[in-house]
Amino acid sequence: MQIPTYELKSQIIASLKLQDITPEQIEDDAPLFGTGLGLDSIDALELVVLLEKDYGIVIKDIEEGRPAFRSVKTLAEFIAAKRTN
Amino acid sequence: MAGHSNLPTPTNSQRLPVITGCGIISAAGLNVAEVWRAVAAGTSGLQPLTLFESPRYGPIPTGEIRHDLVALGAPLASSRSDKLGWLAARAAVADAGINFRENGERAGIFLGTSVGGSFDSEKFLAKLIKQGKFHPRPTRFHECSSTVDLIANDFGLLGPSAAIATACSSSALAIAQAAEAIMAGDADVMLAGGVDSLSRMTWGGFHSLLLVDAEGCRPFDGGRGGMSLGEGAGILVLESEASARRRGAKILARLSGWGLSCDAYHATAPHPQGAGAATAMQNALRRAGLAPSAIDYLNAHGTGTRDNDVAEGIAMKTVFHNRVPPFSSTKRVFGHALAASGSLEAIVCIEALRRQALPPNPGFNKCDPAIGLIPVTESQPARLTHAMSNSFGFGGNNGVLIFSIPETVPQTREPKKIQFVVNGIGVIAPELVTRKEISSPLPPGNALVHSCGPLAGVEMLAPNQRRRLSRLQQMLLIAARQSHPPVAGQRVAIAIGTGLGCMEEVGLFIENLVAKDEREPMPARFPNSVHNSPAGQVAIDQAARSMNSATTMGEITFESALWQGLSQLTVGEADCVLVGAADELDKYPMSIGQRWGLWNDTVKPGEGAMVASLVAAENAAAPLARLTALKLGRCRQPFDPAREADWIAAAINLNNIGVILSGAKGYAWLDGRYEAIATALNARAGKNLEHQTYKQLCGEFHSASAFGFSQAVKLAREKNCGVLLFTMSLRGGKSLCVVEP
Repeated sequence: MQIPTYELKSQIIASLKLQDITPEQIEDDAPLFGTGLGLDSIDALELVVLLEKDYGIVIKDIEEGRPAFRSVKTLAEFIAAKRTN
Repeated sequence: MAGHSNLPTPTNSQRLPVITGCGIISAAGLNVAEVWRAVAAGTSGLQPLTLFESPRYGPIPTGEIRHDLVALGAPLASSRSDKLGWLAARAAVADAGINFRENGERAGIFLGTSVGGSFDSEKFLAKLIKQGKFHPRPTRFHECSSTVDLIANDFGLLGPSAAIATACSSSALAIAQAAEAIMAGDADVMLAGGVDSLSRMTWGGFHSLLLVDAEGCRPFDGGRGGMSLGEGAGILVLESEASARRRGAKILARLSGWGLSCDAYHATAPHPQGAGAATAMQNALRRAGLAPSAIDYLNAHGTGTRDNDVAEGIAMKTVFHNRVPPFSSTKRVFGHALAASGSLEAIVCIEALRRQALPPNPGFNKCDPAIGLIPVTESQPARLTHAMSNSFGFGGNNGVLIFSIPETVPQTREPKKIQFVVNGIGVIAPELVTRKEISSPLPPGNALVHSCGPLAGVEMLAPNQRRRLSRLQQMLLIAARQSHPPVAGQRVAIAIGTGLGCMEEVGLFIENLVAKDEREPMPARFPNSVHNSPAGQVAIDQAARSMNSATTMGEITFESALWQGLSQLTVGEADCVLVGAADELDKYPMSIGQRWGLWNDTVKPGEGAMVASLVAAENAAAPLARLTALKLGRCRQPFDPAREADWIAAAINLNNIGVILSGAKGYAWLDGRYEAIATALNARAGKNLEHQTYKQLCGEFHSASAFGFSQAVKLAREKNCGVLLFTMSLRGGKSLCVVEP
């Protein structure tokens, strides 16, 4: 199952309250943390909340989410994989 | 950091602080002997949570005190934190065999606290949200300063008092600052330590950060999965050596060093290499005049979270050059009692020295290769002379204490006399009087308020820097930037107080927790719940890595921050201090104040922020004003204007004063007291001092005297005379501060 990345980007912008950025400006492959969007550990936790609220995916250990949080693409794949399981 | 030529010289002064009493209450025991038994045996004090229901996380292991606190003797009309603090204070005072009937003026109290009366206020919120009932009585003890005022008033401590709210390092800062108060001669005896109760706020908050180990914490263990929450209080009787000897008191240990620092790195995460933690340990060693190899035992912060334990491990290896002394974390014994943890662990260190035994680290099974250190696994006898205690908090706030056996010869440095000057000021002033709506879940209504409106200068903060910042944090960041353009290489300390903190963010966070039964965590909001979050943000913004303190003390919140900032200049631990205070308008104080009849045509709720940069006179090219006096104290009951005037006259040079700027706020009974003191001062001065007020300009909020301070600087310059800023808090504290051109 494919997760539309445009929608996911809009959700990320809204839940992290990112300013001065539109979904179009976020590349699917660009890193979310560190250099790319420059997100931090609190943003990672907000992504955990987003996953639970909007996709019903519960993450109890942040390490579990880490590989998924590399980029929008990996996040979309992670959600799709969890949903088919 | 080494090699500063302006460092005060070592001393063998009789003002060095010793410990003559300890009081403790915790999940591991209700007195020092019980607690030591649990510590020495490495017994976990964690049990399933019963204090409140946790629908989402369940009754997982927690350091909860299951005794009836009122049955133990605590006062009924108080918060859970108040009760814990009061019980520990009673035990400490009894242990020291001291009473304050004769020398109350020379005794004070500094307590670390971050949760305050939240546990009780949450009951008010639950009733409001779930039953629509507006019964605000439990919020009377909401403020973090409530416990300090209760103890000071009950035990007759009339010297300096303040609550220090730097999250999990609060106790260490409180004990360090109490030592400064004694060294500076502001007090002979200080009760010092910390208190925090469990609360839904911290429970939901730390869970939202995914930092809680559902199996109970396992500090430094390879398989650790986070912290366990706890609660409790620890209070030391800290006393000058001269005072202890005069009383013939038993000396339990010395406090021989203390070191403070700030990571200036992130709101919650520690610096990954533990840079700030290492600096605080090094500062403490330098202050004690000890080499790293002198430390025989280290009680680690060791929360059991992945990041803390790795960063702390690296910091220990840095400071001790890979020869880390025997160390352990006792967090599994107590749970992490947040603001109280440093005081509980200070008592562990003192007892370890007294009993000459190393406390073990329960929960440790296998070494984590990322740390590469093995803590003490079993209690064992050892020759201990010096023990170090680490505490690290949100905002990268670090406090390290060194305790020593009484027989050691201390090398602690004495503070220097310095002429302080105000070098810059930033003010967000409440210039707008407007009507503000009170929104749900509170009963609908509105109130006339003094508002700062849309924040002028907000454009200096980048949009993405602002996205998670509360109004209060933004106010202080702007004011701090206005007061002080960063100077490369300057060592900057910060002391920024707040009466109620980021109320709007905290309100939303707890409302959500209660209304949705923990279903929707808000991880980005929780870090704003600590009163030191604005000070921490300013530190990041200004790269300020010296002490970072946040005080909260009702109407004298600002002056207690000022006191702490100045202490860092006198001991040469900073080149410049940013001191300030702020509060924001919020629906809860507006609405509850209305119910209690606090607001009327003249007294309106307000908000505002002020930050001043202060340096030693020789380091200022064009200072705005001199600060020539600062004193904290407490009014004796019943009120006597002559006695209060004497207290002021003894601390200042009345000849230089032209204006009294008082904290009068529009209540006839209170303003009459200020007027009576002014009249009594006129008699002593032999002239008529001008009595001015400032709250008609800014409205009523805890940190309004910070705005008053900016007015005092303005008046001193305009009128070319000394201005006395005098403030009395409704709960007994008082302060004076003199600004001269």
